[in-house]
Amino acid sequence: MIRFVDATKIYSNGVIGVKNITVNIEKGEFVFIIGPSGSGKSTFLKLIMHEEVPTEGEVYVNGYSVHDMAHSEIPYLRRSLGVVFQDFRLLPNKTAYENVAFAMQIVEATSREIRRQVPLALGLVGLSKKAKAYPDQLSGGEQQRVVLARALVNNPAVLIADEPTGNLDPKTSIEIMNLLEEINQRGTTVVVATHEKSIVDSMKKRVITLEHGEIISDVKKGSYSNEN
Amino acid sequence: MKIRTMKLLIKEGAQNVIKNKLMSFASIMTVVATLFFLGIVLLLAVNISSNIEAMKRDLEITVFLNVNATNYQREEVVSFLESKKDAGIISEYRYESKEQMYQNIKESLNDDSLLEGFTVDNAAESFYIKLVDPNSSDEIITELSRFSGVNKDNGIGYGKDELDKLEGILKVFNYIIMAILAVLMIISVFLISNTIRLTVFARRRQIEIMKYVGALDSFIRWPFIVEGLLIGLIGAVLSFFITSQVYKWLQGFINGILVNLKMATLRIMEFGPVAFRIFMIYSIFGMVIGGIGSLLSVRKHLNV
Repeated sequence: MIRFVDATKIYSNGVIGVKNITVNIEKGEFVFIIGPSGSGKSTFLKLIMHEEVPTEGEVYVNGYSVHDMAHSEIPYLRRSLGVVFQDFRLLPNKTAYENVAFAMQIVEATSREIRRQVPLALGLVGLSKKAKAYPDQLSGGEQQRVVLARALVNNPAVLIADEPTGNLDPKTSIEIMNLLEEINQRGTTVVVATHEKSIVDSMKKRVITLEHGEIISDVKKGSYSNEN
Repeated sequence: MKIRTMKLLIKEGAQNVIKNKLMSFASIMTVVATLFFLGIVLLLAVNISSNIEAMKRDLEITVFLNVNATNYQREEVVSFLESKKDAGIISEYRYESKEQMYQNIKESLNDDSLLEGFTVDNAAESFYIKLVDPNSSDEIITELSRFSGVNKDNGIGYGKDELDKLEGILKVFNYIIMAILAVLMIISVFLISNTIRLTVFARRRQIEIMKYVGALDSFIRWPFIVEGLLIGLIGAVLSFFITSQVYKWLQGFINGILVNLKMATLRIMEFGPVAFRIFMIYSIFGMVIGGIGSLLSVRKHLNV
């Protein structure tokens, strides 16, 4: 599903993103990527969605060779991924419904499919009643739910979340995490970068710890505390 | 691309024009100004060439006979002209006798003392010939000059050479104007691409999001192109309206002056007959300017 083979990313200004990472994430897994700021969590995710390209090594995602990819292939890779960001990234001039529908319009879904799938996705994240609201009329937690609905609506094989709860209060954070777990239980591979200790500890999932761009531990049913 | 996607992208582009009122207004005004200049120059060129054509058609070959030309010599010329008329080379000709010429001169001088010593006998008979095709003039003039009755010294007059020279100068003038217009076009493409670039820049985050969700470049590009085409088209329609009004006003004004100056052969054309052509030229140029402008501005933001 996701495979890094000795992948290294050094930015043009010399900063090391990740260094010699080799890791394998199987279909249906739920994986936390943890580590302090600057440890390479974001770079790890950026390599998965081809926001960055490895300077060395190989990255395979959903059958695409990210390290060696034609520009025209990138949209198709991203369609196979659902992506959730810390800062939400909703289109401000579209309603919650339209934001979710947009992800389907991009893949040229029929309007009947859109009318059927979008309410389902909004229902799944518990936002059916706010379908007509614009992002600035929604709370942070609600916006993140819309983002989740958007990420899910095309049934991606992999869901990637970069600090999805970074801007949310603890209670909402737990709700979002529960949603991610629910999504995972439906068969979607979920990769979450975070530094929310309490959440990682309570969920008992696979935990990959990065430091200075290198994997220093990879534990099944791990927690933040047993990182060494 | 599927039809429903195309519809969606066109709708998106149209909404952009409305949502970014200020930018759209600025771009539309750029189109209006460019096309207005283009139109005025085009109309000027059309008027110049139509007036030259009219002058050519009005141009007459003037043939004076010798003062002592005989009736036989005159009839030779007449039968030549008749045969050319039958052959469809001469459209019409007119004969003036010695008496008519004398009268004409007398009338135009307005002062009999100047006519002293000039009698009907000194006047010459003359022909005024209009050609179907002004370009056949050389041939006719050579043939006419062979007749014994025709005055060999300045007996044949024709203004075509002067007109040809004028036309040559105007042609050069036309080329210069074309060059200026081409520059103007390029400038307005850049002006529009800059204005649209501002809207693209304002929406670069939106473009980024679209790219993260997996939108194809064309999906992102088309709404902007539609926006550019629409801006061009709206600008064209507005500019066409302004041009037609300004032109009609100028037409009345200048024609009035020409009539007052007794230069009625020269006149500014009606707008009606060229309206459709001008409208098409405006629409096409407007949309080309707008489309290229937006393509240029969206291009570099697509490499996310």
